[in-house]
Amino acid sequence: MALLSSNLLFPLLMSSLDWLSTPGNGFFMARHDVTSPAPLEPHITECMSRDQVTFQCWWSPGNFHNLSSPGALRLFYIKIESPPSEWKECPEYVHSNRECFFDTDHTSIWVTYCTQLRALNNITYYNEEDCFRVENIVRPDPPVSLNWTLLNISRSGLNYDVMVNWEAPPSADVNTGWMRIEYEIQYTATNSTKWEAVEMQTQTQRTIYGLRTGTEYELHIRSRMPGFVRFGEFSDSIFIHVVKAPVKESTFPLTLVLVFGITGIIILVMTVVVFLQERLMMILLPPVPAPKIKGIDPELLKKGKLDELNFILSGGGIGSLPTYATDFYQDEPWVEFIEVDAEDAGTGEKEDTQRLLDVSQPVGHHMNTGFSNAVSFPDNDSGRASSYDPDLPDQDALLLMATLLPGQPEDGETSPEVVKTAPAPERLLIRTQTAGPQTWIHTDFYAQVSNVMPTGGVVLSPGQQLRSQESTSGTEEGTQKGKEHKGSEDSEEEKEKEEQFQLLVVDPEGGRQASESDAPQMFAPPSSPMPGEGYQTIPPQLAETQPAARAGDNQSPYILPDPPQSQVFARVADYTVVQELNSQHSLLLNPPPRESPPACRPQHPLKALPAMPVGYITPDLLGSLSP
Amino acid sequence: MINILFHLFFPTALRPVSCVWVVWVCLFFCNRLTMVGAAPICANAQAGQLCHVLSLANLFDRVIQHSARTHGISNNLHTEFEQYFLPSKNHIGRVSRNCHTSSILTPNGKDNAQRMTREELTEVILKLLLAWRDPLWHFHQSMAHHHDFNKFSSNKTLEMSNMVHELHRGVEKVAEKMQVLGIISNTVSNLASPEALLASDSSEWRLMRNYDLLYCFRRDSNKVQNYLKILKCRIVPEHGC
Repeated sequence: MALLSSNLLFPLLMSSLDWLSTPGNGFFMARHDVTSPAPLEPHITECMSRDQVTFQCWWSPGNFHNLSSPGALRLFYIKIESPPSEWKECPEYVHSNRECFFDTDHTSIWVTYCTQLRALNNITYYNEEDCFRVENIVRPDPPVSLNWTLLNISRSGLNYDVMVNWEAPPSADVNTGWMRIEYEIQYTATNSTKWEAVEMQTQTQRTIYGLRTGTEYELHIRSRMPGFVRFGEFSDSIFIHVVKAPVKESTFPLTLVLVFGITGIIILVMTVVVFLQERLMMILLPPVPAPKIKGIDPELLKKGKLDELNFILSGGGIGSLPTYATDFYQDEPWVEFIEVDAEDAGTGEKEDTQRLLDVSQPVGHHMNTGFSNAVSFPDNDSGRASSYDPDLPDQDALLLMATLLPGQPEDGETSPEVVKTAPAPERLLIRTQTAGPQTWIHTDFYAQVSNVMPTGGVVLSPGQQLRSQESTSGTEEGTQKGKEHKGSEDSEEEKEKEEQFQLLVVDPEGGRQASESDAPQMFAPPSSPMPGEGYQTIPPQLAETQPAARAGDNQSPYILPDPPQSQVFARVADYTVVQELNSQHSLLLNPPPRESPPACRPQHPLKALPAMPVGYITPDLLGSLSP
Repeated sequence: MINILFHLFFPTALRPVSCVWVVWVCLFFCNRLTMVGAAPICANAQAGQLCHVLSLANLFDRVIQHSARTHGISNNLHTEFEQYFLPSKNHIGRVSRNCHTSSILTPNGKDNAQRMTREELTEVILKLLLAWRDPLWHFHQSMAHHHDFNKFSSNKTLEMSNMVHELHRGVEKVAEKMQVLGIISNTVSNLASPEALLASDSSEWRLMRNYDLLYCFRRDSNKVQNYLKILKCRIVPEHGC
């Protein structure tokens, strides 16, 4: 056990001695081989130069403690030069450190030195590898005056940059160019063990980016000769610490501004809302156009009041509707009603269509205003706020309006001139040449637009027989017998369709109603519905082929009927009851009653309908129609 | 000559950029003539010849950078060589042989170097560089046939050889410039001194083993770098000394 302990103690003692032998030298690694165990014989520990002008060598006695006393070992060196020299003893001993110091005179750069240790008894301990050149053993001193300055702090206050400054070590002669030094900075956060190395540089300042506030950093620096491998010692550490500063002041005015701004905006908005509530409501929530028929109380148009509506529409009730309507619109001075001369109702002298189409016939003043009414639709609770702009319809529309409205003058003037009207300054749109109030002859309100000219004009087809109104039944005459003739005549023409569409001009006045009371005329239902087609128009040629001279003036946008001739065409009714939908979802209007008595026409869609003098179907009834 | 200067100062990779740079520097430094001294610029320039008016400090900087790179390469090669061919690390046999440039007298200390005149220092540098031109070229040749030596190292030997060549030309240029500017006397003109010729023509270096060549060159390249720096800091100290 004693042996064991001594075995343990001995290496311990050895290592401690080793450590003691070179107190001044911080480097224990041998120059060439760090990993080999320390040799037991006396050896040179290290030779080092700081300034490339002088150098020192340290030795250790190794295991030979008897040689540890100062002077027991002597150091000899030799310079390998062209005139071969001899071994010389160390020029200057520093025995306390076991150091040999070579001053300027004894130092030669770029010359190989070899050293050896000799004991007093001339035993030489010599290692062949202990040869060196002074420039290879240079370890420059660490830089001095190391300090740092804060460059900036990031906006978030979390990071900052510093500038680190230092000076070259005074021992290294940089000014004359004798030594060139490059530096290496290393820094770490104090709570971390990993050092961060900045790349080598020859400048004496460096910016370090991205340090975190609140963290303390330790930084030190060391020097080296560029092109060589040995570093000098690290300098003393400096500590970098930046505390995150509260930056309330800079944001204070900003928050204040924000608060005031938001308050102001809220007040403004409230003011706007309160004072301009009405207009705002108008802008934001425009009124929805309600169903409206002039002269009829909108209340009646609501669901469930069909009977009353029908009653009114059929002309019953308290007096004629015009008056009713007049009363209804009493307070609205701009409403004027087109008066229809009831005497002429039923006279087929002049077909309504003719009158309708006879644009040259002067239109009464009433019509003017009526026109204006018709065109302007100045109803408050209608969709006025919508985009309908009544003020300036274009000319062709005006003409169309002119044709559609009844009110051919009785004199039957059929000058085929087209009444071109200049756009009226106000709402009066059409002025006619004739003088004198014209009485409205009951004419058919509707005419079918058979074609639209490329110039924009509209071609009406007056060929249909305008049936006067005595059919009060909802079904009509739509006989189109003539139409069918026509159709057969023009069967070669493609457009047999007979699905007519109705052009509705809603009048505010009684003229309309009057015609209603007379029973509307209806266009003939399709005799042979064309599959897959919706509404088609009858081509103008169709009108052309009608017998009798049709003063088809091609220049005019409409076809003027030949006034004196009686139309032998089938009556075209104003309204048509939608009977059913065919397989192609086309609306089948009333079938021609004469030719083929529509006995086989299923009438079941109408079962649910009350007896209606007019073909008025509410939307919910429409749904009950089945193809 | 312009071509050589060009090759000297700008490494291969940067040549296209260097063209533009050279022109720019010419224009820029043409305005800085007063800085460098009273000597007329381009006194010997012939008509139509482009006159490179680079400042002396700039020239020095280029040359010093070049020499630093040369030294670095020689260091690397030396270390590699040691690892490859001489694992035993037997230094004694190696160091006993002198380098062929030992005949050239060079200052071996700071004081000695500072005591030397500019002309002497310039001459020493030129001699050294001249003495190494051929040996390095032959070194490269011999290493190229060595298949053990890896490709990278053989490229380095070629580069080293070229760099010494260029460095020599560069220092010649600097010397010329200094003579033109009157900084040094014209005694440096005889570059083909007997000593130098002897050193380059001597077959001593042929006897040296490759490793010794590297060992010696590593030392001499450091010498050249040092001497150039000393010279620069003595003549034009304002730029980074």
